[in-house]
Amino acid sequence: MTTAVRWAVRAWVLFVCLDGRADAQVLPSEPIAFANGRVTVGGDIAATIGPHDDGFFNNTDYSHNAMRLLRIDVSAAVEAGPHFALLGEIRTENFGQVRPYAAYVRIRPWASRNFDVQVGMVPPTFGAFARRTYANDNSLIGYPLGYQYMTTMRADALAANVDELLKNRSEGWGLRYSVGSRTRDGGVALVSAFRWDTGVQMHASSASGVVQGTIAVTAGTVSNPRFNDDNDGPQVVGRVELRPASGLVVGASLARGAFVAEDAERAALGAVSNPDDWRYTQSAWGGDVEYSRDHYVLRYEAIGSGWRLPRVERPLLPRTLGALSHSIEGRYKLRPGLYAAARWDWLGFSEVVGTKETAPWDAPVKRLEAGVGYSLQRNLLLKLSYQLNRRDGGKLEKAENFPAAQLVFWF
Amino acid sequence: MLRITRREQGTLRRVPAAVRGARLFLQLVATMAAPVPLLFSAPSFSAPSISSVSSVAAVSEAAAANGAIRGRVEIRRTATGIERRPGVADLGTPPGRLIPDLRRSVVYLDSAPRGAFEPTEGGRAVMDQRNETFVPHVLAITVGTTVDFPNSDKFYHNVFSLSKTKPFDLGRYATGSSRPVRFDRPGIVRVFCDIHSHMNAFVLVFSHPFFALTDGDGRYRIDNVPAGTYGVIAWNEGTSSEPKSVSVPDGGLAELDFTLR
Repeated sequence: MTTAVRWAVRAWVLFVCLDGRADAQVLPSEPIAFANGRVTVGGDIAATIGPHDDGFFNNTDYSHNAMRLLRIDVSAAVEAGPHFALLGEIRTENFGQVRPYAAYVRIRPWASRNFDVQVGMVPPTFGAFARRTYANDNSLIGYPLGYQYMTTMRADALAANVDELLKNRSEGWGLRYSVGSRTRDGGVALVSAFRWDTGVQMHASSASGVVQGTIAVTAGTVSNPRFNDDNDGPQVVGRVELRPASGLVVGASLARGAFVAEDAERAALGAVSNPDDWRYTQSAWGGDVEYSRDHYVLRYEAIGSGWRLPRVERPLLPRTLGALSHSIEGRYKLRPGLYAAARWDWLGFSEVVGTKETAPWDAPVKRLEAGVGYSLQRNLLLKLSYQLNRRDGGKLEKAENFPAAQLVFWF
Repeated sequence: MLRITRREQGTLRRVPAAVRGARLFLQLVATMAAPVPLLFSAPSFSAPSISSVSSVAAVSEAAAANGAIRGRVEIRRTATGIERRPGVADLGTPPGRLIPDLRRSVVYLDSAPRGAFEPTEGGRAVMDQRNETFVPHVLAITVGTTVDFPNSDKFYHNVFSLSKTKPFDLGRYATGSSRPVRFDRPGIVRVFCDIHSHMNAFVLVFSHPFFALTDGDGRYRIDNVPAGTYGVIAWNEGTSSEPKSVSVPDGGLAELDFTLR
């Protein structure tokens, strides 16, 4: 039995098991509520089947392929009066380890004011896509490159020089550097859509909801959210969102935080002590626009990120390693329950000068994904998509095209 | 004969898991080819089956004066509305919403007098979208009625239904705007918002005019019923009673109470 079939069978069995709940009730179609609605539990199951991704274009944070994945989320909210709420979510991928994805308390100091404080493992402040947590919020199966593609940047392991960095181009799914951790591990995306950061977040909105602002102080950075801080350096991240007209949302985000893990920094500074390079940060900016009307939704999102790393050996790394991603997507409802969607992505990197070549520090990637979604029930969605990936440089596959199918159930 | 089957009401029979699984798989395969499938035997709230005009109640042709049926529907079950999904990704507390009145029931004649099915000119009705709630939560109309769905909120809504009776999707539209839907077939239409998953409502479309919505106390009254004997059904949030027989006298009043569990 092939792996794909095995996963299909597992997904099927899972659905059937759920279908066999007490009282012969079919799959729940709405959140399960207790205590007069003060406790709600929701879920989201997404079973995705696609061919092997030999070029690792769709690898995620946990080294899973986003196009061959069974993801189960369970989320819960407990309202403890008008001022407090507890929210959490756990997630497992391919029946692996169950990981907490969100766990925080929401405090509303004044019930009549649109001001909230959230403490714990909080929702992403940065950007727009990462808060679309459920698979049915994503029109397609894949993720935008800026939120998913694993670059060759690591927080716990560092390239000693430009040549070492260039040698690893395209191998962000699993690479090893000579400074810091010596274990093979994946790099980070510009912004992680698969982990939430831990800290304190404040959100306010005008009475009309036209202007909204969020600011947070967290342990990790947007590309490397963390539960435990690994460098004693916080991140400050903020977002402003404007809704000047119906259907139009314009957002801008900024983030800056200590990126390099203390162990890696110590390893690097031990090699060469450079007092100018004592702060190794990730700085990121983001801009996003969404316009929707009638039966279509259009979205554009750009993310720029710059990492400052210790410079150990010649040829020295530039002061900042930059990356930029663009993502534009559209969805159109063709008829009740049926839509078509497409997304184009581009991810590029700043150039570095090595001994033998001058090139982007990681291999630029382009992606086009188009597909359809069909609602078998209101809360059961079948997605079919076709993805084209192109990589400019590096050792891995330069191009990969493949179809994928995803069945999404939520309640 | 107007009859909503048990399955259509969402009250489902117990089916062995293996049978369900096989059915699921076959339906999934069929889904790829068929345009309007239903994967699970979920509450579908599809169209009530309706036979023909010849299937009428035992009504005296000589009946001259119309009577009425009145009574009360007692709800002895806890009907729960759809709660908001846990908004773990929300950056703040979501806005408050109205709680729909789930105790409103619809009482209707299971069998209708001759002539009741004659085509009528459809009227208009309104189902508002206010504070993330459809108002009213239950709308009972006759075939041919056009329902307007105005948006009274400051943000978008997207009204849609995947019901077999009337699938539609009105798209996203702003506050102050309204879009109409004409209901041309009898049945139960479950209405949702594509943006706010907790918003839901029912539109019950009848091919005859003999129905009534209960008030806040569960009381109803169906007027202008020709004298005769009828089966009467009470419906609430996808659950309906067995038909109860009642005789309406010439120009008189028949009393009929229901209890829904």
